[in-house]
Order: sequence, then C-alpha cells, then structure tokens
Amino acid sequence: MPLDKLMILSRTPKSMLHIVAVIALSIFICASLWAGNAYAKTNESAAWSDIEARGINQAVYFHAWGGDPQINSYIQWVAEQVDQQYQITLHHVKLTDTSEAVSRVLAEKSAANDHNGQVDMVWINGDNFAAMAKHQLLTPNWVSTLPNFGLTDPDNNPAMTRDFGVPTQGMEAPWGKASLTFYYDSLASQAPPQTLQQLSLWSQQHPGRFTYPKPPDFLGMSFLKYALIMLNNSQAEAIKNLLYQPATAHRQALLLPVLWQYLDQLHPHLWRKGKHFMSSGMALRRLMGDGELALAFTFSAADVPAAVARFDLPNSIRSYRMRDGSLSNIHFIAIPYNATHTDSAKLVVNFLLSAQAQAKKQQASIWGDTSVIALSQLPAAQQAWFQPPTQSHPSAQIANQESSPALGEPDPSWTKVIATQWLQRYGVMR
Amino acid sequence: MATTLWSNAMMASASGFNTLVRSSPLVMMALLVIPVMGGLITVILPAFGWFPVLGHTQFSVDGFIDLWQTPGIGYMALLSVSTSVISTSLAFVITILILGSYFTSPWLGYIQRLLGPILVIPHAAAAIAIGFLITPSGMLSRVVSPWLSGWVTPPDWLYPHDAMGLSIILGLTLKELPFLLLMALGVLAQPDLGQTLRAQHRVALSLGYCPMTAFFKVVLPSLYPFLRLPLLAVLAYASASVEIPLILGPNSPPTLAVAIMQWFHDVDLSLRIKASAGAIVQILLTLLLLLSWWLLERLVKKITQNMLINGQREYADAMMQNITHVITLIMFAVIGLALMGIILWSVAGFWHFPDALPQHFVSLHWQSALQQMHTPLIDTVLIGVYATSLAIMLTLFTLEAEQYTSKNLLRLSSVIIYLPLLIPSIAFLFGLVWLLEQFNSHQSFINVVLAHLLFVLPYVFLSLSSSYRRLDPRFSMVAASLGASKAKIFWKIKLPMLLAPILIACALGLAISFSQYLPTLLAGGGRINTITTEAVSLANGGSRRTSAVYALVQMILPALGFLVAWALARLLPKMLFRYRE
Repeated sequence: MPLDKLMILSRTPKSMLHIVAVIALSIFICASLWAGNAYAKTNESAAWSDIEARGINQAVYFHAWGGDPQINSYIQWVAEQVDQQYQITLHHVKLTDTSEAVSRVLAEKSAANDHNGQVDMVWINGDNFAAMAKHQLLTPNWVSTLPNFGLTDPDNNPAMTRDFGVPTQGMEAPWGKASLTFYYDSLASQAPPQTLQQLSLWSQQHPGRFTYPKPPDFLGMSFLKYALIMLNNSQAEAIKNLLYQPATAHRQALLLPVLWQYLDQLHPHLWRKGKHFMSSGMALRRLMGDGELALAFTFSAADVPAAVARFDLPNSIRSYRMRDGSLSNIHFIAIPYNATHTDSAKLVVNFLLSAQAQAKKQQASIWGDTSVIALSQLPAAQQAWFQPPTQSHPSAQIANQESSPALGEPDPSWTKVIATQWLQRYGVMR
Repeated sequence: MATTLWSNAMMASASGFNTLVRSSPLVMMALLVIPVMGGLITVILPAFGWFPVLGHTQFSVDGFIDLWQTPGIGYMALLSVSTSVISTSLAFVITILILGSYFTSPWLGYIQRLLGPILVIPHAAAAIAIGFLITPSGMLSRVVSPWLSGWVTPPDWLYPHDAMGLSIILGLTLKELPFLLLMALGVLAQPDLGQTLRAQHRVALSLGYCPMTAFFKVVLPSLYPFLRLPLLAVLAYASASVEIPLILGPNSPPTLAVAIMQWFHDVDLSLRIKASAGAIVQILLTLLLLLSWWLLERLVKKITQNMLINGQREYADAMMQNITHVITLIMFAVIGLALMGIILWSVAGFWHFPDALPQHFVSLHWQSALQQMHTPLIDTVLIGVYATSLAIMLTLFTLEAEQYTSKNLLRLSSVIIYLPLLIPSIAFLFGLVWLLEQFNSHQSFINVVLAHLLFVLPYVFLSLSSSYRRLDPRFSMVAASLGASKAKIFWKIKLPMLLAPILIACALGLAISFSQYLPTLLAGGGRINTITTEAVSLANGGSRRTSAVYALVQMILPALGFLVAWALARLLPKMLFRYRE
C-alpha cells in the first residue's frame, strides 16, 4: 500500500502535498496535546499505562504448584480473562514443589541469563521467598505500582507486606490467605481432637489413623509449626516471642525440646507407627479417601467438599478448626529479577488482585481461598460478590471457624531448623 | 506423498544421498556423546566445589564430605544396590526359567504375547498400578477382606514404601522381566541362530537330557552373550531409576537417585553441590554394579563349566517345572489384579474399604481428566513423533553407511550408542540442562525432543540393527548389477523390504519417548508437561481416581502406537505393491 500512495503523491501537484503536510501537522499537534494532558494526570498512572502498553499481547509463564485440580482450573479461568483483556497467553507451569522454580532461576543466574528468564511469575511464600530474596532473585519495588494493590489496604493491613514476618519490600504481591483446617471421618470418630494435647490422646485411642506429611513438605512443616507454637504457649511472653525472631542456637534450646518430646510420644501411635511419613501433603487426602486415616488437615479447606463431590473423600467427612488456634499465612506472587515478560506479569498480577478475580477465588466451589482484599475498599455492589453461597456439603461448614485464634507464622529461619532437626531425629530409620 | 517426492529428489542427487549417509554415523555419535559427556562435565565441576553463582570458585571436596555426613547415606546407597541387583537377578532367573520350561511348548508364544504389552507400559504407570495393588486399601487386601482376613479398616502394613524396598523390587522385576524375555525371544527368532539352538536342544533331548536341563546345558551358554548388554542396561537403569522408587519406595531415606533429585530441587541452593557429588557417587555405584555383574558372570561360568559336560541328564526338572508354573501364574495374577484395580479406580464412585467393588461407577474422572490433559496429550505425541522420526532416520542412514564400509560399527561406537542407557541419566541430565540453557534458553520443546532422542535412539538402533544387517545382500547386488544407484537401492528395495521392522521400531521409539520422566522434567524446565510427568506428580497427589486415569492413558498411548504399526505393516504393502499381484 505505501508504494501505491507514494506513486500517487509523486504525480499530484505541489498544492496537494501542502494540504497533506498541514493535515499531518495538525494531527501531530492534537496528539501531543492529548498526550501531554494524559501525562499531567499523575506520574504513577502514566507509568501504569506504559506497563499496559508494553505488557499486552505476550506470553507469561506462571510457575505455580499444580497439585490441585481446583486451583489449576482457577488459573485456567485467569488465563482466559487476561487473554480477553490484554491478549496475554498465560501458561501455567505446574510445579510439584515451588523450590523447582527457585532452582531454575538460580540456574539461569549461574548461566548469566539475566534478562531472558523462563519464569515470569511464581506463586510463593515462606522459606522459598526468603531463599529467593536472600539470593536477590526477585524484582524489587514493583507491587505498589499495581493499581489494585491499594484494595488490600496495606497501610492498615501490615500482613500484606510481610511474608512469614519478613518484609516483602515490594518483591511480591499478596494473593490469598489460608488457615490450617482439620477434617475427619465422622463414621470413624465422633469426637475429633480439639487441641494439640487432645490430638495426642486421640491418637492413642485411634492408633494408626493420623499422620502428617514428612518435612520439608509445606503442610507437614505447618503442622510442626502449629505444634511448636501451642507447646510453647504456656511459656513467658518474652520467650514465646522468640519464635518470631531468627532461630539462634540459644533460642532453639529454649523452644524446641518440648516439640521433640511431644513427637516422641505421638509417633508410635501414628499411621505406620510413625516409621513412614508421606512425602506430599496431598497424599493425606488420598489416605483419608482410602479409609486408612480418620483425621487429616489442609490449607485449602474448600477442597474438602470438592473432593467429596468427586468421590475422592467419603460422604461422612466433616471440617473444623482446632480450638487452641489455627496457623494462618498469606501466599504471594513474585516476579523473578530476570523474567522475560515483566510488564505482562504485572498486568496478570494486577488482575489477580481485582475484586472480580478475588471474589471468584473465594467461592468454595471454585477454590475457597480467602481474599486478600479489604472489603471496606470496595463499593457495596462488589462487596456482595464475596458473600458465601447457601447450599453445600456439610464439610463446607467449618466448625470453630470464628472462635479459633489465628496463629502467625514463625520467622522463616525456624522452618529450616525444624526440618533439619526433624530429619536427623526421625528421617532415617534406626 | 512427501516421502516419495523426497526420495525421488534424493535419488536424483546421488552424491547428496552419499554425503548424508556417510555423515550420519558421525552426527549420531555427536548427538549421543556431546550431551552425555557435556552433561557429565558440568556435573563434575560443582561436585568439586566450582559453583560461581553461590560464590564458590575454589575446588574442594566439601560436597563429598557433606554427602558422607548425610544421615542414612549408606542406607540410600545400599537400597539402590540391593533393589537393582535383586530385581535384575530375579528378572533374569525367571526369564531363563520360563524359557527353559516352555522352550518347546506353545506356551512360550502365549507368554510372549501376554507380556509384550507389559514391555511398553511406562515405568510410572506400572508403579502406580502396583502401588494400587499392594497398598493397605488396595485390591489385594480388598479381595481377602473381610471374609478371610477379618479387616474392616485397612491394615496398618508398610507396603508400598517399605523400608527394605521390596515394593521397588516387585515393580522393577515386573518391568524388567518382559524386556529380558522379549530380548531373548528376539535372539531365538534369528533364523540361523534360533534354528541351530533348537536343533541342538532336540539332539540333547534325544540323548536323554530332560528338557530343562537340556536348555540350561545347551541353549543358555550360547544365548547368554546376546543377553549380556540388555542385562547390563537393565541393571544400570534399575540402580539409578527415579520413577519406581519415587512412587513405590521408602522416603526415610529414599534410594540415592531419588535423594539426588530432591537435593537438586531443594530450596537450599547450596545442596546443589552435595547433589552433584551424589551424582558422581551414583555413577561410580552403577559402574561398580556393572563390574560386579560381569565378575559374577565369570564366577558362575567357572563354577558351572564342569556341570555342562558332566553328562548328568536331570537336576530336579519336574520340581523346577512346577516352580516355574507357579511363578508364571503368580506373575500373571499380580499383573491382572493390578490392571483390574487401576481400571476400577478410574471409574469408581464412593468405594469403602473392604468392598471389592465400588458402590457405583462414574465417568466423571475420565471426563475431567481428559479436559485437563488436552495440552499434555498433544505435547506427548508431538515430542514422541519428532524424537522417533529423527532416531529412525539417523539409525537407517547409519546402518546404510555401515554397509558401504562393509564392516560393523567400530566397537567403540557400538558402546557409545548404549551410553545413555548405561550411564545413570540423573547424573548427566542436570549438567545437560545447564548446557542447553547456554545455547537456547527458550526452546524447551526442542530441548525435550533432543533429550528424548538420547533415550529413543539406542532402542531404535537396537531394534532395527539386526533386521537391517540380516537383510540378504543378494537383493542389493542384483539391483546394483541392473544399474540401480545406492540411493535407489536404499529407497526402493531396502526400505520396503524392512517396512515391518521399521514400523515396529517407530512404535518402540514412541513408547520409549512417551515413558520418559526425568528428561522431560529437566529439559523442559517444567514448561513441557507430558502424560508421564503429570502421572508421576499425580501419583503422589490427592486423588487415586485421577491418578488411575492418567496411568491408564499412559498405558493406552504406546499400545495404540504398536496397534497402528501392526496395522500399517499389514496394510501398507498391500496398498503399495498391489500392482505386483
């Protein structure tokens, strides 16, 4: 086409050329005026529209744990949405363990691949985040540029910028909240244990019907941290609070012995007499379905009724929270320092933080992951999206949900300490 | 027909064909040696402390010290050694028992036909099926409960994941046995060798030897040399395999190979150095095992040398026969029950423990799984087709080149072909991934195809070489005397005559590619999901039912490949050469 136009232009008289030049000039002036106006609004939104302009129409590789079909379907839905809004092709790279993504980024750094990394976004929290932050594998200071980050009300919600107590420094955006929820087979046991101490008694009465995943599995570590917090609950405030500080040798000596004592007592009554622990947290649900266990726990409570609907769990399953407390944490999305499609990833994260995406995620039939949005930041019409539906399997009703106090995650350094010492004590059969 | 056009073009430029053929052995060697050796070197450096990204730039043996101090390291190594040696020995002993017992009986053919499909079942699927069988709530305990065992809740026994690795041994043996048996039957199917051995067996029978004794004294000594390489490959694979120990093995501690994989993937990045050191130890361990097998072989040969010529006609033959019958029966019962269990789980609604059958049957699991496996399924097939096509072309051209020089490949080269099968893949794959990243960081698909090629090529070569070498050279001579070019002989005479073996090799290549777990996981960087990687991650997941569906799809895929190959082998000649009738 340009060639044709040029041919015509070359044959037209000079006056025509003048007219064309004037039109072009006026278009240019209008455009620059409009642009100047837009720039005048705020620096930030201009920066955001730049990101939008650069981010559309690309592929984004989202590395996220892929062991749960419900979550996978939700991510598929997200992929459809960002495809419509931004023509972004979102690929869900299903990990069996988030550490796989950590090693990948590290391998890329070792290969001096500082700009074309394969991981654009990673679903992360806790010690994986601490490891990536320590090795400077994440992009810093991008979260506050997301327009939807404000919906989490970070000024009044300090939890949104702390990951297991470690400041996130804008390296990761909150995605959801989870609490440790227990579920049991009401045919096998009418009265499930309500506290950690009762759990020990219950296991003696029901030998072989409870277990927890082997560290360093995330869910298994969560159980051990819950036990550690509860067992030290009666200690003086100053000592209890050491859990939220780095685990030095002195602090370990103060806090850990009760945990090992408790486990020494508990293990002989566990599934396979505590001689074998499943490597994966998901396996608990399978063992519940097989009828081998009568009590288990999860971080995705909504998955329990969903599993009943898929026949993976028996109809007699009920859910509850421990009366003495439930370990609670927030999970985040981070962008590696060398991500190829940083801007597109930011667009996706911003969408994940939208009221629409968060409300959908919170529905028990979709995923049931608690929203990170502060409802007060939303108009009333959008607040209604977050209302729970009325009808569902009884296991969707979580007993003690309100009365169970939320327990904060200890400092991430404890995770490694507990896992290492656990493996030394129980990891190798004697 | 693209192939016809291409072959015409190839024939037109004879020199082009010659160059292609002559260079292909080199290309093939390069494709095998560079990744394996490169991968090994890039694992050796961090093993000795060279890991710049963590600031380790001085050589040291800290990784090995760290490895030595790992709790249970001795047990890990012992578990790797014991499971691989016991399973390989068991598989070998059962193979020769079956061969000996049914050498002259039609049952050998039936067993071959029944076990053939087992060969192509991926390790992961087999492990999942066996896990379903022996787990406390599995088929085995359901069949005997509660009427015999009295169990109303699943027994608290330790299988699978038992500390002794018996579950691993069961899984590996059941997977290795069909391979060895079919290898042996393949050797016996060679016209000259097979006929000679059978004739010798008949002579021994007529001299009054009992059938089994005759087999052990006359046939086995000539057969064994052909089984040596497959046996060593099986032993090497078993000592460093990941799928079966991951799904069926203990985790406190696991086998060395599984532990190495976990260290490589650990959050604590400094564990990479220990993992690399572990990879070196794994190679040494495997080499040690291969050496021990070879020594054992010599020892057995020395001890039994006199027995071969002592003239004794019978060694408890009847009892051996009966034992073989029982073993064969148990084996088929285990396979049958495992398959039945996995099929039932894939369509089960609620299924409470002692019930032998689900309360009701649903198609929900198949529906939702098929929706989810759309992309992995396509990727699995595409990768398989690419890797197999490349492997077939390279193999055919290399075999053709070999005939020009009219000598078999150099001894060294024939060992190189089996390199990826003999060196534990866990050892060189991590280095290979790092190397691939240096060159084409974003081409995960190509990386996976190349990684699969490493494992597909040896099997395709193994499967095609004997038929190609055995093809009567007089056909080519006649064609050449009539003025046909080498290219024309290759395309118009050799390939059509070898159609059936080529198609079988294609199906085998596809089956091998479909079953690859570690190469897909590592080379694809998690970006490429195949049915196998999905099945392994679901095997430890929350749903037995979904896991069953994936394992079944994993079994169906290679079976389809063989079915198509078989159908084409029958149909194509009729379609292509109809005018000759």
